[in-house]
Amino acid sequence: MNITMVKKIKADGMPCRKSANVLSELESSGLLPSIGRVVAADERNPKSEGFALALQYDVEAAPFFIVEQEDGSEAVYTTYSRFLKDVFNHEVSETDQALEILAQNPDLDFL
Amino acid sequence: MVQTQVKQPDLDIEALQASYSEKSPMQVLKFALEQFDNIAISFSGAEDVVLIDMAAQIRSDFKVFTIDTGRLHRETYEFIDKVREKYKLELEVLFPDAAKVEALVREKGLFSFYKDGHKECCAIRKVDSLRRKLAHVDAWITGQRKDQSPDTRATIPVIQVDTAFSTDTNSLVKFNPLANWTSSQVWKYIRFNQVPFNKLHKKGFISIGCEPCTMPVLPGQHEREGRWWWENAADKECGFHSMNADDDD
Repeated sequence: MNITMVKKIKADGMPCRKSANVLSELESSGLLPSIGRVVAADERNPKSEGFALALQYDVEAAPFFIVEQEDGSEAVYTTYSRFLKDVFNHEVSETDQALEILAQNPDLDFL
Repeated sequence: MVQTQVKQPDLDIEALQASYSEKSPMQVLKFALEQFDNIAISFSGAEDVVLIDMAAQIRSDFKVFTIDTGRLHRETYEFIDKVREKYKLELEVLFPDAAKVEALVREKGLFSFYKDGHKECCAIRKVDSLRRKLAHVDAWITGQRKDQSPDTRATIPVIQVDTAFSTDTNSLVKFNPLANWTSSQVWKYIRFNQVPFNKLHKKGFISIGCEPCTMPVLPGQHEREGRWWWENAADKECGFHSMNADDDD
C-alpha cells in the first residue's frame, strides 16, 4: 500500500492550517512514517505536483490522501477521520463522525 | 472518492424529485406528510416557521424538533416557545450530549470556535444531536433554500435520499419544500399569513444561529455574511479553487 498525502503551502511558505494540523496529528500518533510521500500544492508554484493531483482527482481542499493498493486500485480520502478509520483501522469517535458528516455536507451547520 | 454505502429507500426518489421539483412548498409538504408517518420537521427558530404553519393546514399530528445548542439568543428561545403555544405543538427540543460539550469546553474553553473554527463546536452541539434524532425517523423536512448559500445550497432538490444520515440499514428521505423559494417569497408568506417570527429579524439578523456566531448584516450583504464572519479567510486558506481558476486562465 502506498500512501500519498497532499498538503497545501501558502504564498508565505507556510502550510495551510488544516494541513499543518493533520501533519502534527500524524506525527504525534506515530503514523507519519506510514505516509509514503507528502507532496505540496504550493501557491508559489502553480505547476507543483500537489496542485496537479488536486486537479486530477477533482479535490477542492487540502489536505487529502491517495491510497494505492497492491492490486492497483486507488482510493482518495478528503476526510482525515475516514482515512484513519479505513486505512489504519482507527476507532473514530462520535464527534469525529459528526465532523466528517459536516465536512461532507457543509450546509448542515446552517441548520 | 470514497463514499459510504447507504440503504436505498423503497420510493423512486429520482422520479419523485423530477415530478415535484416545480411544485409548491405546500404540495411537497403534503406529499411528505401523507407518505410518511414517522417523519419530523426540523425547526431552526428562524423563518422556517413557515413549514410549521403550512403543516398545520395539512394535518394536526405532525412532529417538530429543534436543537437547543445551549448558545442560542434569548429571542430564539422565546420564539420557540411562542411557536409551541400558537400551533399547540409537542415540540421536541434536542440537547447536545453533555459529556461531549464538557470535554470540548474543558479542553478548549467556551469560545474555541473563534480560534479553531466553528466546525468542532457545531459537530458536537448540532450534528451529533441531529444524527441521534434522525436515526429514529424515516424522513425529515428542512427549511433549506437554494438562495441561502450560493456555495453550499445552490443545487438542493426538494426531495432527496439523505446520504449524510442514512446508514447501510436505515434509509432516510429528506424533503426541502422551500428549496425553490426565495427569501422574499418566504417573507411574503409570513406577512400575508401573519405567521409569528423571531424578533431578531427586526434587528437586522437574517440567518439565525448561535449567539456568538451570528450577527446582523447590512443592506446588500448576503445573509451568510452574518455567520462565522471571522472564518472567511481561513476557509479559503486550504482550498485549491483559486489555484485551479488561475491555472485555467
